[in-house]
Amino acid sequence: MATAKSKGQPTANSLKSGRWVASSCKMCLHSCGNLIHVTDDGIINKIEGNPTNPSNNGKLCPKGNAAIMRHYDPARFKQPMRRTNPEKGTGVDPMWEPISWDEALDITAKEIKKSMDEDPRKILPSIEDFQKFNIWAWPLSFGNFNFYQSGGTMCGGAYHPINGFIHSAFGCANDAKYCNYWINNGTGDGFSSHLHAAAQANWVAKARTERNMRVVSIEPRLSIGSAKAEEWIPIRPATDRHFAMGMSHVMIKEGLCDYKFLKRDTNSPYLVGEDGLFIRDENRQCYIWDAQNDCAKLWNDKSIGKIALEGNYEIDGKACRPAFQVYKDILEECTPEAMSEITTVPAETISRIAREFAEAAQVGATMKLEDGRTVPFRPAGYNYYRGAQGHKHGAQTNHAFKLVNMLMGNIDAPGGHMGVVLDTKEVDINHCVPGESGMLTPNPHQLGPTPPFAYPPNTYHLMDYFPLGVNPPHFNLLVHDDPAHFGVEFTPDVIVNCHSNPVWAMQGPRTKWFDFLRSMRFIVCVDLIPTEMTDWADIILPSSDVLETWNCTMIEPPHTEGQSFRQPAVPPLHDTKSEEDIFYEISERMGILEAYNNVVNLTLGFEGHPELMLELDKKYTDKEIAERKGKLWNGEDIDWYMERGHSVTEKRLDKWYRPWEGSRLHFYIEDMLVERDKLKQNMEDANVPFRDEWEWDDYQALPSTTLDPVHEEPPEYNLYAITFKDIQINFGESLSNPWLKDIVYRDPVHTGLLLNPKTAAAEGLEQGSIVFVESPYGHVYGRINVSEGMHPETLGISNALSRMKSKDSGVLPAGGHFNDMLPYDLRNTDAATGQPETVCKVKITKLDDWPEFLKDGHTVYDLIAKNEQAKGKGGQH
Amino acid sequence: MARMGMVFDLKACIGCNACVIACKQENSLPDGVFFTKTLSEEYGVFPMANRVFIPTICNHCEDAPCEKVCPTGATYTRDDGIVMVDDDKCIGCSSCSVACPYDQRTQMDADNFLKGLFGKGDITPFEEDGYGRYTPGTVTKCDFCSQRVDVGLDPACVVTCPTNARIFGDLDDEQSAPSKMIRERHGRPPLPEKNTKPKVFYVN
Repeated sequence: MATAKSKGQPTANSLKSGRWVASSCKMCLHSCGNLIHVTDDGIINKIEGNPTNPSNNGKLCPKGNAAIMRHYDPARFKQPMRRTNPEKGTGVDPMWEPISWDEALDITAKEIKKSMDEDPRKILPSIEDFQKFNIWAWPLSFGNFNFYQSGGTMCGGAYHPINGFIHSAFGCANDAKYCNYWINNGTGDGFSSHLHAAAQANWVAKARTERNMRVVSIEPRLSIGSAKAEEWIPIRPATDRHFAMGMSHVMIKEGLCDYKFLKRDTNSPYLVGEDGLFIRDENRQCYIWDAQNDCAKLWNDKSIGKIALEGNYEIDGKACRPAFQVYKDILEECTPEAMSEITTVPAETISRIAREFAEAAQVGATMKLEDGRTVPFRPAGYNYYRGAQGHKHGAQTNHAFKLVNMLMGNIDAPGGHMGVVLDTKEVDINHCVPGESGMLTPNPHQLGPTPPFAYPPNTYHLMDYFPLGVNPPHFNLLVHDDPAHFGVEFTPDVIVNCHSNPVWAMQGPRTKWFDFLRSMRFIVCVDLIPTEMTDWADIILPSSDVLETWNCTMIEPPHTEGQSFRQPAVPPLHDTKSEEDIFYEISERMGILEAYNNVVNLTLGFEGHPELMLELDKKYTDKEIAERKGKLWNGEDIDWYMERGHSVTEKRLDKWYRPWEGSRLHFYIEDMLVERDKLKQNMEDANVPFRDEWEWDDYQALPSTTLDPVHEEPPEYNLYAITFKDIQINFGESLSNPWLKDIVYRDPVHTGLLLNPKTAAAEGLEQGSIVFVESPYGHVYGRINVSEGMHPETLGISNALSRMKSKDSGVLPAGGHFNDMLPYDLRNTDAATGQPETVCKVKITKLDDWPEFLKDGHTVYDLIAKNEQAKGKGGQH
Repeated sequence: MARMGMVFDLKACIGCNACVIACKQENSLPDGVFFTKTLSEEYGVFPMANRVFIPTICNHCEDAPCEKVCPTGATYTRDDGIVMVDDDKCIGCSSCSVACPYDQRTQMDADNFLKGLFGKGDITPFEEDGYGRYTPGTVTKCDFCSQRVDVGLDPACVVTCPTNARIFGDLDDEQSAPSKMIRERHGRPPLPEKNTKPKVFYVN
């Protein structure tokens, strides 16, 4: 260690002589703008937020602040490596042997090509780089639709398709700029997680502190957002849909809705027949009931006197109702009292929140926008995410939340509930397209094409049967258990893994996933640092990190749009390559270079722009791809981006507020039934043997009150268990980072399994009790932290307590994995969207001591004890 | 002369600890050492339970007990009110640690520098670049990023705070953001009964 101090020279890192590089973060999947300080000696010693980026306004979350420790992690992969230990397992030393890039790429391409030549379906991609869709889409180069990664169902399996139906967008958020009443249901948006955490926290804090925006948070655990909310409403897990339907019941019963919006801007007046489909004429045009003239007219008939939302009618002797009436009939039974029974939320609270929300929404108010339009002003929004939506009936649940908003007319209105696009690629592209019969074109597939129906299936996770959904990766295990049952005629034997850790992230027991991995002939991992997954690799292809590479991306920024630009602050520290270099080299060796360039042209939107189109026989660098993406957005060249680090601006009003103006929104999602019937017919025609097991009731045009099956587990499982992250461990890998580890395991929500003290007492448990927690599907060990911030029926398990020890990684095990306790079957998966259940029922047994395998002194609990002991000794905190 | 101070907006603070890591970055702090912390305290009984996030930092007291007890004059107050430590003079006696009612003094343990942030003796280039500012054995603390203040910048923790929960400025200037906030939102110092006259205030 150098101890000499050079007097007079600054010792504060940001003031040392050096330069600032404008770039973008990748410590989660989002992309806040940052400034990277590089000293004259070439050392990165400070990263700050970029104040010119109106998304994060110069702010960074704890993870964004910790990127340097990823860069300098001594465990980073420093050169390509080959396994020499034939025995594989998480925590088993692969005994890496360094090899050259040429050799590593040759081996990798040869092994993948072997499977490709036999049957391309034998390749299992696990490519999770959400900032590089050109890499994500690589498997399409050989027509492969397999998917072995958690992105999708473990975040928003049902969320994304329903956003696609309602807003033609990928994500959603409330409009923090004008919102005065913000409901958060099972989400940390604006406080601890999800969309651009630092940016959204900044926008929401301004609304809270400058405008006194009221926040109501509904969830089983007192999260950061609940702690900051004006009101925390604890709720039984997996009953959020019923809360929303109870609110909707009150809003309709008390006449609080925005009827003008419903009549003009949604399909809620369209007449629905008894088969659930819209009544249509020979040109497939829908009907509306004209209450003034007491007859049905086509939706676009100018002579309609008064649009009926309610009532029961007949057309040509066939009974029909406006879609609004259909939902009203469903909601009839959703009294606050009935929903209280299910949710445990007091009936008067459900009613009160409905009334407060409706009052805050200011139905009838308008706002004149700077672009000259006068639009509805609705400063109240119902926001939600993983905790609330991640359930068996995910589609219906998401839809129920959307309908609370729709009843208020706040969809894409100033202050209301907004669709948030992923990346529209060009500044002038509006993501909304008018569709049939006056309705918005639904866009449930936000991540690109899905495979067409096929039997036998062409995918190992049965994506052939999700015409509306997101990939359900947990079905890889379901099929692996019994391939014949699902008619699968191939066996995957190669995994191509890139920045993905499915061993950590997927539901189902680890032991079974380990068997699954053992069945692979070859696994290649493109990654930065060791993870639970890289322990299984045969070849490691080390990638350069975010501080060493180029990129240009837009990833669902709320409130802003534009490209976040990445440029190298320093040359690669080690013998690493960009993901582009790696996948181009593999593609060339596999003989699929032309196909891959075609895929990139399509995926990144270069198609139709001759000056940007990739030539099919060439390999491109990350810089060349980034340059094209920047140009595609706003025509600016790479020097322009290098100086600024982004092209982010506030959302252009025409694309943010009512971008679908003139189209009706899908209050009633008829496509659910249409696609269900098509799938049913396809399965009948192909004589698919498991078609009777398919959960056909999951396809609903409107939400129902059907309980998720998690509520029907055997009664001995007397508690619910939920898992959660917080802003320090938002999204991907965090705990191998010493700075993050140093804060996470000092926070009481991450140092034990959280249980309400009254529940603990009833179970014979107390603070510090060591326990065995069992669901019908798996188990974990842990130590109880009592907390008044827990719904009494719920055990809370931080994701920081669900890691496994892996070779050379700093992450610590804590007694198992929450995801082991989740099912991975059809019964607990939304057949409409692929969304799996993400909570479970458990029973808890008190133990006298830790089991032997947790007594080696290297668990999370040992670290916590060490931190505790350090307090007060020599002033160490 | 200025009198630099900080206000913590407890309504805004989300306990994210971005400030804590920004401080670790700016100051190259070794593992387990914090110049600022954000505490999380649960209170109340379900369903009326809540949690409060409380940022803590050296309060740069006007009557700083750490300064009074320092036998060598290593702890001193700058003209702008920032309480500093000159570790050339510090003998590591820890009197300041004992005297500080806020537990804000930290002795730099030599082992910490040897172990490194990753705990296995691998000293990263970042650490190589930064550890030189510290003298093992001395007792350090937050200096409000005094070098940044000297060039007109806010402390690192303030700059990064996603919710603007940390407001820094001259308490002698009635128009400064912290002065206004203390006045309008009834700012109160931590542990006023200790009579140390902190220049850090909390508002709800």
